[in-house]
Amino acid sequence: MANLRFILSCFLFAGIVFSSAMAQTQLGTQNGKISFASDAPLEIIKASSNEMRGKIDLTRKIFAFTIKTSSFQGFNSPLQKEHFNENYIESNRYPDATFSGKIIEDIDLAEDGENVVRAKGNLTIHGVTQERIIKIKMTTKNGVMNIKSEFTVLLEDHQIAIPRVVNEKLASEIKVEVKATLMP
Amino acid sequence: MCVILGFISTCCHSQDTTDIMAQLENEVMQSDANATTYTTATFKTTRLVNGHTVENVGKGVMDMKISHRFGKLNGGGYELFGLDNATMRMGLDFGITNRLMVGIGRSTFEKTYDAFFKLKLLRQSTGRKKMPVTVSYVPTIALKTLKFDDPNRKNYFSSRLFFTHQLIIGRKFSEGFSFQLMPTYSHKNLVALQAEPNDLLAIGIGGRQKLSRRMSLNAEYYYQIPGYKLSGTTNSLSVGVDIETGGHVFQLHFTNSQGMSERTFISETRGLWEKGDVFFGFNISRVFNIGKH
Repeated sequence: MANLRFILSCFLFAGIVFSSAMAQTQLGTQNGKISFASDAPLEIIKASSNEMRGKIDLTRKIFAFTIKTSSFQGFNSPLQKEHFNENYIESNRYPDATFSGKIIEDIDLAEDGENVVRAKGNLTIHGVTQERIIKIKMTTKNGVMNIKSEFTVLLEDHQIAIPRVVNEKLASEIKVEVKATLMP
Repeated sequence: MCVILGFISTCCHSQDTTDIMAQLENEVMQSDANATTYTTATFKTTRLVNGHTVENVGKGVMDMKISHRFGKLNGGGYELFGLDNATMRMGLDFGITNRLMVGIGRSTFEKTYDAFFKLKLLRQSTGRKKMPVTVSYVPTIALKTLKFDDPNRKNYFSSRLFFTHQLIIGRKFSEGFSFQLMPTYSHKNLVALQAEPNDLLAIGIGGRQKLSRRMSLNAEYYYQIPGYKLSGTTNSLSVGVDIETGGHVFQLHFTNSQGMSERTFISETRGLWEKGDVFFGFNISRVFNIGKH
């Protein structure tokens, strides 16, 4: 009986934790910028998109970001953009690239300040998910958060094959830069 | 108690990330419904085998095309199955806008110059504006500069001119399969006999099936409407593959048409597949960026 009461109180407590978590503060963006660059011996390819959407829950310290891979502009030619969508990233089959997870830093995200935090989560590109820890620089002022992050993506990690003929024109490691302003 | 709590809280956290992701996905779906997405890459290049596809080259892009048709396969070992003879067309296409391209070419076959433009009238799209097909209009003019058969009779410059108007209605049904219809009207100022029509009608069908990301199987057939065709001509049937490597597209094919401009392959094909009057050929396309896109 005591056992049962114990379990019940556990649930009750969990319920309180959960409902307090519901009173959350979320910041979000609809026009974050992602740029990427492939720096290969024979060709440098750059593209970017201003259509990254994202949300951060300050209380629960969780986040999710998503980008439509077909929204990238730039490249060295329209044909290259078509090949990016058709042959490499396969935008029709895998329309979005996403990153979601938790900020594993023991700080209060709601407070003003500048912090470099580690974001641990699942990075999904080309339908292949990799667990990654990515460093993000967060600058918070008056409830508005600017984030900036640079990381690399290995094409091999996401099963994006490089044909031999373009070996010298496409880097196996792609540099990615993310910038966004998140508002309530 | 801690174990249970810990379990519940981790449980909640993984749940939480999915709910925040779900919120995002919802937003994306709503904005998608308000935006129009145009279909891209219905075909790998602007030509299927001999004729046009619904594709255009992009703005500021120049596409150099070198096309060869060797001799007839039934020429036998003496002609090395046609490889001893070849006709070729050199062409330059240029994208003025993403919906308008122009092109010129010169074929060795009957020393013909040709010029065309291709205008995308409708674009296949989903989302806010829904359009099931892409429709392009392609008028072509050809100038045959071969010396007149009979220099003693009165020959007119206009006799050298040929006009073709094509409407191309195409649809990308799936990632791998695209199909198009090509109703075609041709006008020849001069035909061999008085009984022959000057105005010719044909309807083309064509499609592609991707075999891999960089390779596709193409086929193209032009049916000439009886009564609006030249006597002794047959319908053009071509089968080929596209192989794409970066900025190049290689097209290898077998066709019963020797000519490569619209007026020749649509209305002047004389080869018969069943007799082996088949020409092996290839097109090589190389794109260059000229303008800023």
